Amino acid sequence: MAGRQQPIELFMPPNMLKAKVGGGLGGIDMAAMKRAEGALDTRKSEFADWIASDVKTLIDVRARYAKTPDAPSRDALMRAAHDIKGQAATFNFPLIARVAGSLSRLIGDLPASQALPLGLVDGHVNAIQVIHRQGIQDTNDKMAQTLCAELDARVEETLNPKKKS
Amino acid sequence: MSGYRFDRLKVLVVDDNAHMRKLVVTILQAFGVSQIHEADSGNRAWTVLRVSNPDVIVADWVMEGMSGIELVQKIHTDPSTPNPFVPVIMLTGHTHIDHVRQARDAGVNEFIAKPVSVKTMMSQLVAVIEHHRPYVRTSAYFGPCRHRRGVDEYRGPERRADTKQQAAE
Repeated sequence: MAGRQQPIELFMPPNMLKAKVGGGLGGIDMAAMKRAEGALDTRKSEFADWIASDVKTLIDVRARYAKTPDAPSRDALMRAAHDIKGQAATFNFPLIARVAGSLSRLIGDLPASQALPLGLVDGHVNAIQVIHRQGIQDTNDKMAQTLCAELDARVEETLNPKKKS
Repeated sequence: MSGYRFDRLKVLVVDDNAHMRKLVVTILQAFGVSQIHEADSGNRAWTVLRVSNPDVIVADWVMEGMSGIELVQKIHTDPSTPNPFVPVIMLTGHTHIDHVRQARDAGVNEFIAKPVSVKTMMSQLVAVIEHHRPYVRTSAYFGPCRHRRGVDEYRGPERRADTKQQAAE
C-alpha cells in the first residue's frame, strides 16, 4: 500500500496581486460598485439589441442543426442556448433565460448518441422568439409561465421516460 | 472605501460572446481597471496572455475550441505559461454543483454563475486578492489548493491518487 503513495507538494506562492493593488481593509469598494451600477444603467439601452442578436444566433444554429444534425452543429446549438441562459436575465429577460436553461438541459443531458428531438428544440426556440417579440420581462406573466412549465415537463419526460405516468 | 488600487490591475477577459465581454469590461472599467485585454476564444486567450501577462483572468467556460477549463489547465501545466499562479475567475451559465466541483478540480480560483452582477464581480475580484490560496503539485494536478480550509498542516501522501489506483485495480 505504502508503495503506491506518491509525494504531494504544498506551497504558498507570494501574493503578488495583493502587493500590487494594496487595500488593507479587505472590504467591498462601495464607490466602485456604485460607479459600475451606473455604467451598466447607461448600457441598458443596448440590452434589447444584444438579446435580439443572441436570439438570432440561436435561430441560425437551430437551422444549421436541422439541416445537418452532427456533433459540431449540436455543440453550436448548445453554446447558443447556454449563452442565452447565462445572459438573458442580465439583459432583463429572465423568462428567456429560463427557457434557454431548459433547452441547455435537454441538449446537455441527452446522451450524445441520441438525436435531439427537433420538435422539442423548436418548441424552445419558438417560445424564446415569442417572449422576445412580445417583450415579456415580467416573470409573473401567466402565458409565459405556462409555456415554461410545459417545456420543462416535456424535457423531463424526454430525459427520464421511465418517470412518465 | 476599501483602498484597492484597481487601476494597477491588468485583466484578461475571455468570452466568445461579444456582449458578455462588453458587459464584463464595462463593470471592470467602472471599478477603475484601466488595462483590460480581451479574447474571443480560449486559443486566442492563450496567445494574448503570453504577451500581456495579466494579473487576473475572467474566463467563460463554454467556448468553441479550447474551453475555459482547458485554458485553466494549460495555464497551470504548459511549460511556456508566463504565470502558472495567475488567478482565474470562471464565468459560466453552469450552476449545478457538479460543474462547480469540475471547475475547482481544474484549478479555477473563483466561480461566478451567470447572470453577472456588479456585486458578484466585485466580491470575486476581492476574493482572489484577499483569499490567496496555497498551491498543490501532485503527479496528476498542479494548481490552487482545492480545499478552502485546514490544509496548512497536511504533509502526507497523495491519498486520492492511491484511491484512484486502487479503484482502477
